[in-house]
Amino acid sequence: MKTIIRHCARLAGAAALIVAGMISTAAAEDVTLEYWVYSDFAQGDALALQQEFIKEFTAKHPGVKINITGKGDDDLTAGQVAGAVSGNLPDVFMNSQSVGAELVKVKALANIYDKWMAMPEEYRAQFDKDALEGCMAKPGELYCLPYTGFGSLLFRNLTVLQKAGIDTSKPPATWDEWLEQMKKVKQAGMYAIPDETLIFNSIAEIYATSGNTKSWGFNWDNHTTRIDPKIMAKVLGKFVDMVPLNSGTSRNDQATKDLFISNQLAFHTVGPWVNPTYEQAAKNSGLKYDFVLIPGDEPGKTGGIRSYEMVGVAPGKHEDLAFQFAAFITEKTQMARWAKLLARYNANAAAMADPEVSALPLIKTSVDAAHGAMDVAAPYFVGAVPNCYNSIVIDMASATADGEYTPEEGAKQMISELNDCLAK
Amino acid sequence: MSLRRHLPHYLMIAPFMILFAAFFLYPILSGLYYSFFDWNGVGTPNYVGLANYQSIVGSRDFTRAMTNLAQYIVITVPLGILIALALALLVDSFTGRWAGFFRNAYFMPVVLPAFLAATIWRWIYAPNFGLLNMILGWFGVRSINFLNDTGTMLYALIAVDVWVSAGFNMVIILAGLKNIPMELYEAARLDGASKWQQIVHVTIPMLGPVLFFVFTYGLISAMQVFDKPWLLTGSSFTSYGGRRHALLFPVMDMMGRAFGGVRFGEAAAYGFILTVAIVAVTAFMFALRAWRERQ
Repeated sequence: MKTIIRHCARLAGAAALIVAGMISTAAAEDVTLEYWVYSDFAQGDALALQQEFIKEFTAKHPGVKINITGKGDDDLTAGQVAGAVSGNLPDVFMNSQSVGAELVKVKALANIYDKWMAMPEEYRAQFDKDALEGCMAKPGELYCLPYTGFGSLLFRNLTVLQKAGIDTSKPPATWDEWLEQMKKVKQAGMYAIPDETLIFNSIAEIYATSGNTKSWGFNWDNHTTRIDPKIMAKVLGKFVDMVPLNSGTSRNDQATKDLFISNQLAFHTVGPWVNPTYEQAAKNSGLKYDFVLIPGDEPGKTGGIRSYEMVGVAPGKHEDLAFQFAAFITEKTQMARWAKLLARYNANAAAMADPEVSALPLIKTSVDAAHGAMDVAAPYFVGAVPNCYNSIVIDMASATADGEYTPEEGAKQMISELNDCLAK
Repeated sequence: MSLRRHLPHYLMIAPFMILFAAFFLYPILSGLYYSFFDWNGVGTPNYVGLANYQSIVGSRDFTRAMTNLAQYIVITVPLGILIALALALLVDSFTGRWAGFFRNAYFMPVVLPAFLAATIWRWIYAPNFGLLNMILGWFGVRSINFLNDTGTMLYALIAVDVWVSAGFNMVIILAGLKNIPMELYEAARLDGASKWQQIVHVTIPMLGPVLFFVFTYGLISAMQVFDKPWLLTGSSFTSYGGRRHALLFPVMDMMGRAFGGVRFGEAAAYGFILTVAIVAVTAFMFALRAWRERQ
């Protein structure tokens, strides 16, 4: 009897040890990652696919839970800055490369260079070289994995162009050809283009018809602008030429899309995100449109800007796991699925080269657009762009278009003010 | 002895004082402290003395924001109160179901979320297709770009603000109207006063304290205007204030410096300037009222 009791006691002790061990193991492995994404990635089909990625990742990492939260652009930045200040950062998050320097400044982004270098060459070679360089402030520093992106496109309303007597079979090859078409559209009583002076990015898109990344952005060594006064004077002249032709609405206004859909606006320079709206209008109301590259000053040169959204990892105890998740969602297989679902360009060049992906017209044109476009605020992750910068560019472009300055005076004044702004 | 006698009173106000200290006093004093530092919110703050204040006051954006604010306040506060008073008198003249209907209808914009109100108004103001431009089009007026034309942007904002605030002010003024003894109107009528004379000589003087509250509250709110111009201009932390900064206001500028430029020291200085300005204006209003009462 005593032996039986002794055995039972031993068994109970062993069971208790096993249970205790299991509990402690589970406690050690149970990790919840907070994952912040753009709000449009947290709804509908996009959310369903994101949740599928999470399911696949967590299946390979037992004990890991990932909470996905969608946030608007400003909420993402404000939340990440506030999170860094309060020590309560999300573990993995998206944002634009153009706010990268601010996030580095507040220590919201971990330098993932060593983790990146530890990844197989096969993985590292998948990314678009320019997009990846955007995440590297200097040698030995990598603050993000490039994710989705865009190159601006020229959406053309074919009905408007045909009414204006324009041959739509060939898109305009140069700025001069494009301007001629705009004038014809106006003569036919319709609007040619939105007011491109209202938004920083649309000013940059037109600047890119004459300039390029080297003559745009910032010299952080001496805190001056890289804008070339001669190019800017030429571009401001273009804005003056477009004043009588434009709709007075910005490229982002709903009114601009309404004008385009109702066959009153010929051209819309914007990212590929408007395509679902126009695609729907084509089905519902017979809108005839296409998208082509924004023409530059010479044949073969394209205008427009490119920009990438990034996936960043917060410094902290979950940094390694967060990087693994970031690497998983940016890997070719996931990015190809993402591209196919949204028909949107992204920074994984291998995914873009996937035959099923590259067969999608919007992606094919976006890849070409991104390759010829100008970086919107390069170099990234070096200096935080002061908020006076964008407003000076917009103010001076608007003032010159309003006739307060000649293009030469406007360019000179703009550059002087931009240098003062950056110097402060 | 005195402490023992007043202890229950101190205990009763303690919850408020603790919350006030934690959520108002501490942030204000903390803001004042950081306003003397160059600080990005995370790193070690560097003492810079009054440099943040000099940088703000010397900046073009500050001048523009303050000029816009002055124009905005001068128009929106009196106009908002006048319209609210008119609405209150109108609603007060109704009885029964109609009074309730109009009171609720005018109050509706107050409970509408700001982003929804801004979306509605962006649609109303839209060039070519907007409701307002469609109506103007019937009278042969060419499409006006209300939210991008620097000549109309401020007035477009004021219209939205008055639309929202009138309902709130109307309810307060309406409560004041209900408290005016009917005998005063009867006496005025017996003396041969017209309806207009009754409003000028009975209603408005009797509404003095209510109008003072509405005016002071409106002034304080107007000085902190942020969400409506931010949403109407489609602002973000890197670009705000609309075309040529025609709708740039101090709180927007402060937010941009904090979250766009990650300059929390400068933003704290901006916040402190605004706090002092609001406290000064409020104190002035109370002093003015006390002086008038003494007269």
